[in-house]
Amino acid sequence: MEEFVTACPRNCYSTCSFRVQVENGHIIRILPYAGNRATPEGPCIKGLSYVERSNSEERIIHPLLRASTGDFKEISFEEATDIISGKLNFYRRDFGPSSVMWYTGSGMSGLTNETGSCFWRAFGGPTTTYGDLCWPAGLEAVRLTMGSVKHNVPWDIENANLLVIWGKNPAETNIQEMAFIGKARDKGCKVIVIDTLRTETAEKSDVFICPVIGTDAALALAIARILVDKGMTNDAFIDKYVYGYKEFKESLTITPEQAEVITGIPRDTITDMAYLIGKSGPVTFLPGYGLQRHSNGGQTIRSILSLAVITGNIGKTGAGFNYANLQSYVFDDEKEPLSLYPDIEKDRPFRRILSKAKLGADMLRTKDPELKAAYIERGNPILQSPDSLKVTEAFKKLDFIVVTDQFLTDTARMADIILPAKNMFEQTDIIGSYWSPYIQLKPAIIEMPGEVKPESEIYFQLSKKMGLGVTTDLLPEPGNENIEKWLSKRIEGYSSLVFDDLRKGPVLAPGLQPIAWHDMVFETPSGRIELYSQEAKSKWDVSPMPGYVPLNEPCDKNKYPLVFLTPNKSSSIHSQFGNLRIIREVTEEPAVEISVKDAEMRDIQDGNIVRIFNDNGVIKCTVRISSCVPTGSVILHNGIWMADGGGGNFLIKGVETDMGYGSAFHDNRIEIEKLAADG
Amino acid sequence: MITGSKLKNWPPMDKGFLFDNDRCVDCKACIAACILENGWTVKPRTVFTFNNERLTYLPVINLSMACNHCEIPVCLDGCPSGAIYRHPGTGAIVVDEAKCLGCKYCIWNCPYDAPKFDENKRVIGKCHLCYNGFSEGRIPACTSACPTGALSFGKLNDIPSIKSFPWLPDKKLKPSLMLTGHAQDKATTVVPADKFEPELKKTTATNNNRKGIWVLVLFTYLITLSVSAVLKSLIDGTFPQPGLFCLSIIIAGLVSLLHLGRKIRAWRAPVNIRRSPLSREIAAFILYSVLSCVAVILRMPGLLLVSSAAGLILLIFIDAVYYFADRSRKIIFHSGQTFLSALIIISFLTNNVLPFLFIALLKLASSFFSMTSLQETMKNFSLRFMRFAILLITGVMLISGRYEINNIVILVFLSGELLDRILFYIDFKPVNINDLIYNNEIIFSNEKKRN
Repeated sequence: MEEFVTACPRNCYSTCSFRVQVENGHIIRILPYAGNRATPEGPCIKGLSYVERSNSEERIIHPLLRASTGDFKEISFEEATDIISGKLNFYRRDFGPSSVMWYTGSGMSGLTNETGSCFWRAFGGPTTTYGDLCWPAGLEAVRLTMGSVKHNVPWDIENANLLVIWGKNPAETNIQEMAFIGKARDKGCKVIVIDTLRTETAEKSDVFICPVIGTDAALALAIARILVDKGMTNDAFIDKYVYGYKEFKESLTITPEQAEVITGIPRDTITDMAYLIGKSGPVTFLPGYGLQRHSNGGQTIRSILSLAVITGNIGKTGAGFNYANLQSYVFDDEKEPLSLYPDIEKDRPFRRILSKAKLGADMLRTKDPELKAAYIERGNPILQSPDSLKVTEAFKKLDFIVVTDQFLTDTARMADIILPAKNMFEQTDIIGSYWSPYIQLKPAIIEMPGEVKPESEIYFQLSKKMGLGVTTDLLPEPGNENIEKWLSKRIEGYSSLVFDDLRKGPVLAPGLQPIAWHDMVFETPSGRIELYSQEAKSKWDVSPMPGYVPLNEPCDKNKYPLVFLTPNKSSSIHSQFGNLRIIREVTEEPAVEISVKDAEMRDIQDGNIVRIFNDNGVIKCTVRISSCVPTGSVILHNGIWMADGGGGNFLIKGVETDMGYGSAFHDNRIEIEKLAADG
Repeated sequence: MITGSKLKNWPPMDKGFLFDNDRCVDCKACIAACILENGWTVKPRTVFTFNNERLTYLPVINLSMACNHCEIPVCLDGCPSGAIYRHPGTGAIVVDEAKCLGCKYCIWNCPYDAPKFDENKRVIGKCHLCYNGFSEGRIPACTSACPTGALSFGKLNDIPSIKSFPWLPDKKLKPSLMLTGHAQDKATTVVPADKFEPELKKTTATNNNRKGIWVLVLFTYLITLSVSAVLKSLIDGTFPQPGLFCLSIIIAGLVSLLHLGRKIRAWRAPVNIRRSPLSREIAAFILYSVLSCVAVILRMPGLLLVSSAAGLILLIFIDAVYYFADRSRKIIFHSGQTFLSALIIISFLTNNVLPFLFIALLKLASSFFSMTSLQETMKNFSLRFMRFAILLITGVMLISGRYEINNIVILVFLSGELLDRILFYIDFKPVNINDLIYNNEIIFSNEKKRN
């Protein structure tokens, strides 16, 4: 038996390090690795499930070709790349390179993903997407205000006297943070949780506040007004480091009384919150991503962030606004959110025309050339894009679809060719994190089964067959030793990053500020924290100041009275992991969740099959009555496969957020009804 | 009195599970690690939740628990086949799957709901502390996997803090478990509370280890009748009809096999005769069956006397099986116990009015007590009422001496006793953490409503 240290490359805050034991070429055990200060106790159920995931019988390990009967049949890697290179050459020649769409998701992070862009640049520039389905409104809000997106090291929240967890549920989505929250509480730290759902995180708080959906900005700005009125702001800090405070102060028109009407939170509670925030000492805000998946998402994050700014909770221990910590994103020329919508002029020959939030509609609209083919990696756009019906329609119109994946996902089912994807233990790669401050190496420790090839090798072969002539410094030759050489070269120039050190365990990111902005250097146009941002106005056409904008709900409130949310859950990372036996065994069955009162009103019993619908679409699902769901809301967790009654995105209109080209998933409303037994 | 005895020469466990409920968020990593490490087809570990209904005025408290490897292992003591043993190196209480009958007696005996019946393997699966990993330097998989540090494995201090866990059963067994955490003594303030459910909707606890219990009703009642028949014959100076008598004993024996997961291993049932009341019951049953059948077939009055004594001992052993498992002591005076039933059946059949009156009053008092002390559902209440009425009517018929006690009356009387036996099983609720959580939720919820 051999043991290695590796790191989880999923789209998740934690990016856990763990030890992995290998016997006879199989992963047999996952154990914690104490050398990572952010995740010393080890990974969550998903991390543990790699024992099954990497040995799963359901994994695709040979290329599959859709036969004329509609079923998939196994073909060799040679045959698959012959067909793909022939097709791609044909579309490029006859319709132009942008008749092919290259779509990537966040399925696996790592530097080797760059080999894809090398190939597609050489291809001549396919149609690609801009924006992101997850977090960009908030990223942009933080960038506009602070100049960059970062926060203190995760374990610093132990030093807070007050934690304001706003729309985040680390108990399910960032469980290692719960250890630090617990330690802070042991030392007497108070915890406020503001959320729509009564989550496990809320159970670990002193006060749980449940405002009307989408009104968080009003709540924050009412608190800001009390802080200003009662002299609880840090004026020395504001004078020195804040730009536009005067205008901001004048813009605070929402009184606690008005906020009570808007948010449903009593004015006394709002006042209590303000005093807690103003008087506690270091306060760390832990905002989530769900509350910025609204048409007012960016402005909401700016409003909450303003509370940390005017109380001076920036640049010191125990304080901060922990939206995302991109300090380990050292390899990017341009960091998110800017990299999500790079300047087209500067980025020739890429042609970015499709919005991730409006993928289906945008795909259907393409002309000159029309889209003919799609090449999909690390993603599951059929299930995960808003307005799934339109996305499905657009995919059906395509002549040729290639999907690279480990499992037969809802998107892979639409493919003409499926290429089996590597898993995290099969190719060496280097990853960062958006929460912890580490750069980590995940080594190749097992052989790839069947005819699985890493993307770098797929692209190498395609490039060769298509005669694109990409050089090996961009697209390394097959073989893990070549990848490691390529990676070593890639990290040259960072003196603190030595390949062999990374092999031993996580390394702190070069230039890390354990306490973000302790130097009080802000990379904004004014060099200060910008409560007033001209760029916000010019780039996104929103108020230069934070502000409360009522939701732009696409559905009729009377016809569709229930707010529809698709939050994340511990059992999956978006649509990954939900298919595994061990995950299904230990977590609740996939189901739409409804409050006790709403169920009673509709004569719905636990376990009924229900119809959920609005003007966008309709799905059928099992229902669970949940005491965690407030009256007036319905929850269907993100990432549930269609076969399990998932597909919440069929009910979600493709609408972009107010900034950052995110997707306003949570603006939608639905109605729900019990299906007759023969349903 | 038969109680769980300490395994001889076993020092108290100095290490065990440490659990901090302040840190547990019900993430299930412990359960997943347990299954992945050991390939279980059951889930030996459970995260119990107090106030899973999330009543706004009560704290929500999680408790991850598997087997506590108690210093006084009642599962081991009760196990008839000797399949449960203490692993010498680690002190772990382990089930030997090759010896387990699947009788599920340990499920009754364990108040922590630790042993699980594996429907595939038809035997018990239970946490074994990952005892094989210790030699390779590993601690139990669940404890190393906990991502928040809520569950760990280490040294147990003398006095565990159990403030937050009024619903933790039977600390007298000395579980190797130490509980810390206190922040959740107070409920989280929920604003606005009226968006969430204020009422306790759950109507029953989740305890479900009663499947196939009718087999035991039939088995024990057939024996009760059989022993009564032997004693009646002894008093009357006659012999029971041998064919019918032996057939009923054979049926009882066969019926008793039905609830076993592995019927072929039934021969192991008397193995743990030194400690297990169930082993004693089975041994006494075998002895009684052989003696009484021989006595009846060969018409040997002396042997019939011996077998009647064996029969009465068997009935006491049957009752002891349940007494041992029911540490709440709620059934100690239950009128449906086999010994009491046999006595009243004999006095009824032999027309002994005085003893009948005495036992009948005892039974009526006990039924009345049950009616008032147990949480009575409407269904149970009506069963008990029927049982009450049958005893009263047939009793008056017997005592008054004015009515003929024909076979129909006897049948009605015996059906009353069968009903009593059924009620015994309904009332027999061995202490179990699931019930305790439920009962405490009701108590706390009522308390809050009063305030």
